[in-house]
Amino acid sequence: MCTRLIIIFIILFSPISIAEQLKEGLTPQPNDISAPNFVLTDIDGNKHQLTDYRGKVVIINFWATWCPPCREEMPSMQRAWEQLEKEGIMLFAINVGEDEDAIFQFTANYPVEFPLLMDQDSSVINRWPVKGLPTTFVVNVNGKIAYRAIGGRKWDDPKLLAIIKSLKH
Amino acid sequence: MKYYTLKRYLPFVFLTISALPGVISAEVITTEDKQTGLQTWEWKQAGISLKLIQRLPDQTRAFFLARGFTRADANTIGEACVFQTIFRNDGKESLSYDLNEWDIVHRGKMLTVQTRERWENKWLAKNVGKSARIAFHWSLLPTRQSFEPSDYNWGMTSFGLAPGESFDLSFVLNVNNTVVKDRISEIVCSSDQL
Repeated sequence: MCTRLIIIFIILFSPISIAEQLKEGLTPQPNDISAPNFVLTDIDGNKHQLTDYRGKVVIINFWATWCPPCREEMPSMQRAWEQLEKEGIMLFAINVGEDEDAIFQFTANYPVEFPLLMDQDSSVINRWPVKGLPTTFVVNVNGKIAYRAIGGRKWDDPKLLAIIKSLKH
Repeated sequence: MKYYTLKRYLPFVFLTISALPGVISAEVITTEDKQTGLQTWEWKQAGISLKLIQRLPDQTRAFFLARGFTRADANTIGEACVFQTIFRNDGKESLSYDLNEWDIVHRGKMLTVQTRERWENKWLAKNVGKSARIAFHWSLLPTRQSFEPSDYNWGMTSFGLAPGESFDLSFVLNVNNTVVKDRISEIVCSSDQL
């Protein structure tokens, strides 16, 4: 009797299903939110426009060099990039409010190979649903925001990478 | 009801209670960093944690001087009782808060948290440069935020009291549409001499 009650309890009250547990760390977003477009320059002077990447899965991370959890997640983001680039998945880290010098200094300690874009006047971040740094979005092949993560993550976690890769299909 | 019957239902009762975040009692842990002498107050309940870590006024002055504030303005922020705040949702429910609903109880008076918006009005009135204002905005804890499980923010919170003053923080959270109210007592604003 007692065991049966516990099983009923788990079914009724378990806040997250097994399927949702797999998505832990990435919050699914309503499927009708279009990712706001941007045209930004990276620290090497190359321009990137989000709409040019339509048809690809794109990860967009908002960060700053002085933000402790942003710094903490950067190495795992680089390790994720080493896997995702081969899969044709794009990753942009958009720095908010700082100049090339600050970002170059940062990359001496945190070397990364994915594009670091600059949103110096914060005009881009202000059009995205961001309240604190870091915040990361995963945009699907249709240009819609599929997932959101507030705060740092271990981006090379295989479960998390599997969720991102599954958006390709 | 016989003891035997009661015993059979105990696991079920325990599980039911543990599923309700508002029912589980909160704990506040106060610690002191042995090297720096800085104190931390951490409130925890059902996987949610709110951690306030003292910042030396000088630490805060230096941070904002390096981001384009004048010495006088950096000093104003440094002496406004600033804490590094780590707010985490490692629970299983959605969580939201609004700093405008939080109260500071200081010497019998109720005061408000110095939010981004309150500070930003000052900086606009003083014609502080845009890059400094952008850095200020993003370095403070968001005024309103919603956290899903695994979400968290780090950010400074400013309580507007002089160095060395102490206060109680009365705060409100919304956890899966349940209002959770609690208080952290006797928080101390750091001064440069610890």
